[in-house]
Amino acid sequence: MKAFSDYHPLVLLVYFLSILIVAMFVNNPVIGIFALIGGILFCAMLSKRSETAGNLGFYIPLFFMVAITNPLFSHNGVTPLFFLNGNPVTAEAFAYGIAIAVTVTGVMMWCKCYSAVMTSDKFLYLFGKAIPKLSLVLSMALRFIPMFKRQMHKVSRAQKSMGLYSSKSFIDKIKSTMRVFMAMLSWSLENSIETSASMKARGYGLKGRTNFSLFRFYPRDGILLSVCAVLLGVTVAGIITGDTAFYYYPRISELTLTPFSVTVYTAFGILSFLPFMIEVKEALKWKYCISKI
Amino acid sequence: MEILHIENLTFTYPKTKKPAVENIDLKINSGEFTVICGQSGCGKTTLLKLLKKELAPSGEKSGKIFYGGVLQEEIPDKTSASEIGYVLQNPDSQIVTDKVWHELAFGLENLGMPTEVIRRRVGEMASYFGIQDMFRKKTDELSGGQKQLLNLASVMVMQPKILILDEPTSRLDPIAAADFISTLQKLNRELGLTVIIAEHRLEEVFPIADKAVVMDGGRIIADGAPREIGGKLSEINKEHPMFFGLPSAVRIYNALGIEDNCPLTVREGRDFLEKHFSPEAETEMPTEYVHSETVAVEMKNIWFRYEKDLPDILRGTSLKVYGGEIYCILGGNGAGKTTALNVISGLDKAYRGKIIINGKQIKDYKGNSLYRKLLALLPQEPQTVFIKDSVREDLSDMLEILEIPKAEREKKIAEISQKLGITELLDKHPYDLSGGEQQKCAIAKILMSEPKILLLDEPTKGLDAFSKLNLKTLLCGLKQEGLTIIMVTHDVEFAGETADRCALFFDGEILSADIPERFFSENNFYTTASNRMARGLWKYAVTCGQVVEKCKKSKESKGEAR
Repeated sequence: MKAFSDYHPLVLLVYFLSILIVAMFVNNPVIGIFALIGGILFCAMLSKRSETAGNLGFYIPLFFMVAITNPLFSHNGVTPLFFLNGNPVTAEAFAYGIAIAVTVTGVMMWCKCYSAVMTSDKFLYLFGKAIPKLSLVLSMALRFIPMFKRQMHKVSRAQKSMGLYSSKSFIDKIKSTMRVFMAMLSWSLENSIETSASMKARGYGLKGRTNFSLFRFYPRDGILLSVCAVLLGVTVAGIITGDTAFYYYPRISELTLTPFSVTVYTAFGILSFLPFMIEVKEALKWKYCISKI
Repeated sequence: MEILHIENLTFTYPKTKKPAVENIDLKINSGEFTVICGQSGCGKTTLLKLLKKELAPSGEKSGKIFYGGVLQEEIPDKTSASEIGYVLQNPDSQIVTDKVWHELAFGLENLGMPTEVIRRRVGEMASYFGIQDMFRKKTDELSGGQKQLLNLASVMVMQPKILILDEPTSRLDPIAAADFISTLQKLNRELGLTVIIAEHRLEEVFPIADKAVVMDGGRIIADGAPREIGGKLSEINKEHPMFFGLPSAVRIYNALGIEDNCPLTVREGRDFLEKHFSPEAETEMPTEYVHSETVAVEMKNIWFRYEKDLPDILRGTSLKVYGGEIYCILGGNGAGKTTALNVISGLDKAYRGKIIINGKQIKDYKGNSLYRKLLALLPQEPQTVFIKDSVREDLSDMLEILEIPKAEREKKIAEISQKLGITELLDKHPYDLSGGEQQKCAIAKILMSEPKILLLDEPTKGLDAFSKLNLKTLLCGLKQEGLTIIMVTHDVEFAGETADRCALFFDGEILSADIPERFFSENNFYTTASNRMARGLWKYAVTCGQVVEKCKKSKESKGEAR
C-alpha cells in the first residue's frame, strides 16, 4: 500500500503536521475519536497483516493504562463515583482519562504512519533546500554507516580467525572490540581520503552547486494540498470561534451540535480519513483493473 | 587530433630525493585507447593523478601538460572537472552518496546544472549502461562489479573527453572485470572517448588497446602499439618482472623467440602455435600425483545456510585435503567458495555433517585451541588483518596474544620478516603498503601462530603479476616446510601454476578434484589461456611454462628427425 506515500513530500509533511497538531491540542472528543480511528485505519493499511496482533497487544493495554491513571491521581470533578483511600474517584476524571488515552494512542498511530511514509530521502529533500550542505552530509552519512558496519564485521571476523575473539571471558571480549574499533578509525580516515578524491575529481567545491531530486510536484499533489488546506481551514475556524470548545472539569460540558460545528466535525473527519480513503480507492482501482484483464 | 601532450614531466614527492616520475614525454591522440603498464610502484598512479589537476599530489613538479593545446594550469575549473573523468581503484570508497540516482547526479549537481538537464542526462546514462533497474536502489546493496560500473557511469554523465582509470578492475572478480573492460571498449568505440588506463591484469586490455606505455622506475621504457611492444620486449630485458603480467600469448612468443608477428589474443596464439608446431604423436600423460598418507582437513556431507529461511549455500559438500598439499578451490562468483572456507575455519558452523581437522572433529576444539599452532585463515582483504599503526606493532601484538614472552618477540619478528622479505616494511603503516606488500605482511602475521593448515581466500585479488609470482614462491616454500594450504580463487592461471590439486565448486558441492593438468584439460571454458591455446597440440599443457617447454621439446625432436 503506497498510494498515499507517493504524493509529493511537501504535501505529506503539511498533512501530517496539520493532523498531529489538531489531534494533540484540541480537547474535543469527536475530533479525538476521528483522529484515532483515521490513524488506526491508515496504520492498518500500511502495516503487514502479521504485525497486527503485536500492535493490538501493545496499544490496547497502553490505552487502558493511560485511561485508568488519570482518575487515580486526579480528583477534580463534581460527580464522585466511589472513594478510594478516602479520595473521590470522579466520573469527570474518568472521562478525561479516556479522552487523553484517545489522544495519546491517536497521536502515536499517526507518528507510526509518519515514520513509515516520510522516509529519510523525503525529509532530506524538504530540508535540504534550506540547508544544502546538510542534505549532502546526511546522504554521505547514510552511505558510510552500512559500509562501516560491514567493514567492522569483516575485521572482527578476521581477528577472530586469528584467535582474538574466541575466548569466552567478558573483559577479553570488550578489549577485543575496542581494538577493532580503534583500527576502524584509521580505516575510516583512509577511506575518506579516496572519497574526497572522488568528490574533487567530479568537481565538488565549484561555485553554484544545485540540488537534484527525483520528486516532482504533479497536479494531483496540488489538488490534495488544496483539499487539505480547505479542510484544515474549516477545522481551525471551528476551534477559533469556540464552536467546538469542550470541557471535562468541573462538569462535562455538552456537545453543541450547531450546523457550523457539524461542518467542522465533518471537515476534520474527512481530513483524518483522507489517507485511508486514498488507499482504498487505489486498491479498488487495481482490483477493478485486474478483474477487467 | 592531439588531446593530451605531456612534455618532459618530472615530479618529486616532498621529503624524497628520487623523483616518482621522471622525464615523461607522451602524446595521446583523441579517441585513443592507451594502457599504461608496469609493476606496482613504477609511478603509474602518480602520473595519472598529475594529469587531473584536482587530484595532483603536492610536491615538486617540472615540465608541462597540455590538454587540447591549453596548459593544464589555465584550464577553467569547470572544464577540468567535467572533461577529464577519473575512476579510482576501490569501488567502495569512491561512492559518495547513499542512493544510485543521487550518485549519478552528484557530478552534475557540482557543475550547477538545472534539475531538468540532470534528469535527462542521468536517465540517458543509466539506460546506456543498463543500470536502470538499480536506479532507485541503495548504493550499499550493489555488488563490487556494479559499484565500479556505477562509478564509471557517474563520471560519464559529466560527458568527459578523456577518461583516466587507475587499476579499476583490481578489486573485481574476473567476470566483473571482463565486463567492465568491455564497457570501456564500447565507450571507446561508440563515443570515440579517449581512454587512459593503468592496469596490471593485461590479458583482456592489452589486445584491445591502441597504444601501450610501459613504465619502470618512474620512466617510460617503451611506448607504441601493443603488437610492437609485445614483439620488442625480449630485446629490452627478458627477466623484467613486468613481463609476467602480459597476456600468455605474448609471453610464449617472447620465450620462444620465433621470427613472426607477435600474437596477442588466445586465437592468435593458437594460430601461431599451430603454424610453427605439430601435435605430438603420442599424448604424454602427466606424472601421477602422490599424496601423503595423512588427511589434514576433511569435510563430510556439510550443509550450511546463513539463516533459517535462506537457501542452503553448502549442500552436502565433501572434500579431503591431504597433509602438505596445496589444494585449490575454483568456482564462479557467489558460488559459496568463501563460505566453504569459513566453515572449515570454524567461523561459521555447519548445521549438518562433520569436519575433521587433523583427525579430530572441529567441535572438539575448545576455545582458541583451533587457532593455536593449527589453523589460520587469511581473509579476502588482507587489510582487515591489521589493527595497529605499524606492521611491527601488529606482529608483536599477535605474539602478545599468543603469550610469548617479551624477550623472544623481537627475535621471532626478525626471523619471520627475513623469511618473507618484509624487513624494510616493518615500520610502515599497513595501509601505506601496496597490495602485494600488504598480503605478505598479513601472511607474516597469521604465520605467527605457527599454523599447520593455512586457508587463503582469494589471495591474488589486487596483486600485480610480479607479486603473484612472489606469492607462488612463498606458498611453495611453506609447503616445503610441511604446511597444508587450501585456497579459494578465481584466478585459473595462478591455480594452474601453484596448486597440487584443483577442484571446482558448483551448486554447493565440490566436483572433480584432480591435479591441475587433468583438471584444466578436461574443462573447455574454465581453463587457463595457455591451455586454450595449446590444447590442440598438447592436451595436458596448462601453464605458460609448460607450453614453452613442450614447444622447445618438439623443436628438438624435429631437429633430430632431420
